[in-house]
Amino acid sequence: MSLAVQMRGIGKSFGAVRALDDVHLEVEAGTIHALVGENGAGKTTLMRILYGAIHATDGTFEVKGQPAKFRNSAGAIRAGIGMVSQHYSIIPDLTCLDNLMLGAEPGWTIDKRAAEQRATELAQRMGFEFDWSAEASTLSPAGAQKLEILKLLWRKAEIMILDEPTAMLSPADSDALYGSLKQLVADGATVIVVTHRLPEVMQHCRDVTVLRGGKFITAKPVAETNPAELAELIVGHAMPPPSVRSVPDNAEDLLRVVNLTVAGHRGDDAVKSATFSLHKGEVVGIAGVDGSGQRELFQALMGTSKLRHGELILGNWSLHEHSIAERLRMGLRLIPEDRHEEGVVEVWSLELNAALGLQRFPPLAVGTIVNDEARHQAANEMARRFNTKHGGIRQPMASLSGGNQQRFVAGRALFLTPRLILAFQPARGLDIDATRHVYEGIYEECEKGAGALVVSFDLDELLQFCDRIIVMNGGVVTQPNSRDRAVIGRHMVGVAS
Amino acid sequence: MNDLRLLLEGTVILGTPLILAAIGGYFSERSGVINIALEGKMLIATITVWLVTIATGQPVIGVAAGISASILFSMFHWLLTQRYSLDPIVSGMAINAIAFGAANFLDKRFTDPDQAGFPKLPLMAFWVFALMLPFLVWLYVRHTRGGLRLLAVGSDPDKARQMGVFPQRTRFMALIATGVLCGLAGALIVSNAGSYVDNMTAGRGFIALAALILGGWRPLPTLAACIAFGFFYQLQIQLQGTQVLGISAPRELWLCLPYIATLVALAGLLGRNRTPAGLGKP
Repeated sequence: MSLAVQMRGIGKSFGAVRALDDVHLEVEAGTIHALVGENGAGKTTLMRILYGAIHATDGTFEVKGQPAKFRNSAGAIRAGIGMVSQHYSIIPDLTCLDNLMLGAEPGWTIDKRAAEQRATELAQRMGFEFDWSAEASTLSPAGAQKLEILKLLWRKAEIMILDEPTAMLSPADSDALYGSLKQLVADGATVIVVTHRLPEVMQHCRDVTVLRGGKFITAKPVAETNPAELAELIVGHAMPPPSVRSVPDNAEDLLRVVNLTVAGHRGDDAVKSATFSLHKGEVVGIAGVDGSGQRELFQALMGTSKLRHGELILGNWSLHEHSIAERLRMGLRLIPEDRHEEGVVEVWSLELNAALGLQRFPPLAVGTIVNDEARHQAANEMARRFNTKHGGIRQPMASLSGGNQQRFVAGRALFLTPRLILAFQPARGLDIDATRHVYEGIYEECEKGAGALVVSFDLDELLQFCDRIIVMNGGVVTQPNSRDRAVIGRHMVGVAS
Repeated sequence: MNDLRLLLEGTVILGTPLILAAIGGYFSERSGVINIALEGKMLIATITVWLVTIATGQPVIGVAAGISASILFSMFHWLLTQRYSLDPIVSGMAINAIAFGAANFLDKRFTDPDQAGFPKLPLMAFWVFALMLPFLVWLYVRHTRGGLRLLAVGSDPDKARQMGVFPQRTRFMALIATGVLCGLAGALIVSNAGSYVDNMTAGRGFIALAALILGGWRPLPTLAACIAFGFFYQLQIQLQGTQVLGISAPRELWLCLPYIATLVALAGLLGRNRTPAGLGKP
């Protein structure tokens, strides 16, 4: 068999940080190859080098047997390489057809009818269906992923790189995606999938390459390994058994959400008459594909958006009648979805960031005066809690990597006796060990009487860490009566009977 | 009947420079570059057209020089905002200030008080071009590679870059178009008037920008906004000093009419506005 991609001794430094060191990758033509590793292992960096988006510091690579050195992505595209990044490169304001063509238009002028015809043919070949003149903002995450694949086909890509392609998809959509990929491979394409989901690797891929901490660990056929071994190779040590948690039965309600309706940014109802409760000491996971109303639910709980109707009861309090400041005082804590936008001020020091949201409460404040000493201690404590790596708490937040910022933000959310922890994708950017630590931190607070609502698009994460799982689909909350992956998956796409 | 003809003619005379400038702004802002310097570019074009036409006796050379001056200022905006990451508002204000001072200086230094008449430009050609331009631009963005890339870069430069488009290149071309159209608008203003007076664009670059925003950064509604403004401006000129419904309103009130009427007329008609998502993004 011939090699579609052969990378040798690849190294990449960002300033003083060595992101990749002497990494090898060999991908056989006509196969699905999995590239696995933890967040920060260098998977995406390696793929961006192959795609010409960044340049390697050391090493060489060959594409289809030819030595390759791409100045930019345009060069890689010409060589038949296509990449779908984790955050889709679909522009929501443009139509689906425009998105499909962008960067690879048929000529100076565009004959929309001819383009649409070719687009439809490509879509039919894959069994997809698109309204080509609709705006891309109307696409579901699964629809966007399909459009990304068609974009690769439109560019006649033969080597396709998909970075965490199933991160935003429901289980059923993930299976459908791999079905499409297998069809492409049968037609002669080569697919490299960057993923951290081992079941997918075992089920759908032929070979697997493992990276850890920017270094090459091993490469082997999937048939010759098993999930436990892979997990150990990825983390670098044996996985401890999952911690056992006992949730008190019949505990009293901590939070009751009654008939909650919240407006979305398009003016429609993003949360529709949601009713559920959270018990004291419980960690409840909210499953669902991106954009199912999780965001708006959290905003309503935090108080950043108004309710259309419904009630939010925390203990004896009517949460919705109180300001954001009062809710924080009652013990609401947020690990926000987008830490850059909502979690931290990047140009501020860790110390200043430590007080964000908690600035009114003792010991951080004495009356209206800031207690510098206490803030200093608080920042140190928050950083220590989940082992944030930093160069001093007076350094700006921007000097931390994304994963370390996330650790700090999680540490802050668990500071000063939280009562209700709202965590939106708390494991974002964290490796397996850190993810477990954060959840253990949440458990600890729950044992003291708090409760936690966790949103994640990764169902496996919720299944692993949450006591109970509810599902949001199109703004409607449902409560599956089983922890079975398939049952919850059906709820996520709204076909539960 | 005569009044009606005057009204139509006035609408065209006042509206066409606005259309040219607003569509000029369209290219810049659609590519993601905030541009409050339409005014400055128009102003530098008026004085250049005026002086060069008189010096050479050739209106074609005069207009070409005016357009060149406007392009030069536009390129300056590209350089400051795209290469040196200066805030586009600051850059725009600087360009307006430079243009204002330069136009004043050039006028004082080079205008000959005893000069002969200013040769007329083919106004009809300008008018037809200006009125057709929004339709041409509409076709351009819908049916060409350049148009698609313009919208893509203005919407999300990072994603466009991932798809192999070069945002800085696209913006460079867009700002050349802005320069050309603002230059034409300046030439039209000086030609309509037949002579140069100090600060003769009188804020029309800002009105054009307002029309662009009011038109939701879309060429045809922008055309409507410019025409509506021209129409109401001419209307208030004609109604000034006359009695309407038995009331003679003060002049200042009439002067408000075009602004208020345009706003009201279009706010209801155009519906939801959508700012280009990548406006101002590096």
